[in-house]
Amino acid sequence: MALPAFAASSSDRALAGVCGGIAEALGVDVTLVRLVFALLALAGGAGIVLYLALWLYADDHTWPAAIGLVISGSLLLHALGLSDRAVAGIALVAAGLALAWRRGAGLRPDAPLSFGGYALVGVGAVILLAAGGDAPAPLLAPGAVAGGLLLIAGPWLWRLALERDAERAARIRSDERADVAARIHDSVLQTLALIQRHADEPKRVASLARRQERELRGWLYAERPLGDDGSSIVAALSSAAADVEDVFGVRIELASAGDAPTDGAVVLAAREAMTNAAKFAEVEEIDVYAEVSEAEIAVFVRDRGVGFDRASVPPDRRGLSESVEGRLERAGGSATIVSTPGGGTEVELRIPRRAS
Amino acid sequence: MRRRVVLVDDHGLFLAGVRAELGEAVEVVGEAGTVARAIPLIKELDPEVVLLDVHLPDGSGEAIIDAVASERPGVRFLALSVSDAAEDVIAVIRAGARGYVTKTISGEELAAAIERVASGDAVFSPRLAGFVLDAYRSEQAGSELDELTPREREVLQLIARGYLYKEIAARLDISVKTVESHVSSVLRKLQLSTRHELTRWATQHRLV
Repeated sequence: MALPAFAASSSDRALAGVCGGIAEALGVDVTLVRLVFALLALAGGAGIVLYLALWLYADDHTWPAAIGLVISGSLLLHALGLSDRAVAGIALVAAGLALAWRRGAGLRPDAPLSFGGYALVGVGAVILLAAGGDAPAPLLAPGAVAGGLLLIAGPWLWRLALERDAERAARIRSDERADVAARIHDSVLQTLALIQRHADEPKRVASLARRQERELRGWLYAERPLGDDGSSIVAALSSAAADVEDVFGVRIELASAGDAPTDGAVVLAAREAMTNAAKFAEVEEIDVYAEVSEAEIAVFVRDRGVGFDRASVPPDRRGLSESVEGRLERAGGSATIVSTPGGGTEVELRIPRRAS
Repeated sequence: MRRRVVLVDDHGLFLAGVRAELGEAVEVVGEAGTVARAIPLIKELDPEVVLLDVHLPDGSGEAIIDAVASERPGVRFLALSVSDAAEDVIAVIRAGARGYVTKTISGEELAAAIERVASGDAVFSPRLAGFVLDAYRSEQAGSELDELTPREREVLQLIARGYLYKEIAARLDISVKTVESHVSSVLRKLQLSTRHELTRWATQHRLV
């Protein structure tokens, strides 16, 4: 785990800028920090050693800094009136903990054990307990050990919390990933599959790529779910045919004479007719022909499949009557469906061109 | 008697696929991937039918027809392409190809198309029928193109809609032979039209 960042101040310095650095890191007045160091310096020189230790730490000399910290602490405790033995015990415990902690120890089961560190802690604790006669020692010994355990366990608990956060973040990320994957699958991957299937048709590949690019941009930057190619009747029919081919694994031959700006109703109805043929006709190939004249747009969707008897189609199957016939009539056109059982089906869509 | 066929296409995979799909239906006597190699090969082998890609690395199918047709008048060309560009297809037809089918055609249909071309008839795929109708549609006023008769137009429309010759015959209550002669007549009118006409048509469609 990362040690707290700390750098000696280059602007606010009396000696090496250590006090300035601490003041900066803690956000307190530098005078206050200097005062604390001065007081500590009076405690058997603890402040001086601490200053040197922190200076070393700022210079990335972690180990000498740790030793300096232990010495400085010992001096302070000694100045506070603890016996030499008690101070030595505490110093050993602290050094042992530092050693164990630096080795990445802790209560985590997979953490490496620092036998040296634990040995030092043990020896220190024994010395502390043996210091018996000194008044604060019996109080300090359990406290030192408990504090030591907390020091060891603390990073572990912290790490645990971090890991839980990371896990939650990972779960959210993976949900997002799944969502993106689904969208990419529905659009980009399908298009790539189509491109592979039509690899030797440069124009088709180019138009597929263009369409996909437009759609992807729409999704990424404009939050548009799915944009149809609206440039012309033939382009829209070809894109609808590609979709139906893709979904149902049929082949659709699209022929055309003339072209015009697209007309939503006729394209959607033609798409529905293609889908119907792909689903029910039991054929591999469907023919679509669009003829655009001055007066009208005519689209023929033909299959050579099983056909059907209009009377036997259940009324709840709204595909043909609603999506094809109804749609065309509402748009001012007409739809004719000719089907004979065993003889295939042809859907004929006609719509007058709007005066423009 | 199996028809002797030469395949001209620069896509190795596609050639292998066509060979496999055609199987025993025809005899593939030769293959070429470029205009430069196809011309001497066709002259040498003198096949009945050449299956011709519209686009080749060193030129167009049209160039092969131009180079071979005068010397080997018996050779018939069937254009086979994935190109959507109307002007390319029309150009090959004008140069003398007896038909145009798309590469998505099944092996069985392809064999039938080869047979039809070999016996002197024309093969119109739905797409070609659409292209031709389009060419005539936009040449209505003051055209030098021989106008299509209403019947020819009707036949072409049914081809574009995906009807087979025999289905067209049944629907129009005529014989398959008559359907074939209508299609051949359309082909002839197309081939007799001047290059100028078609260029104009292509320009109008911003194809060139």
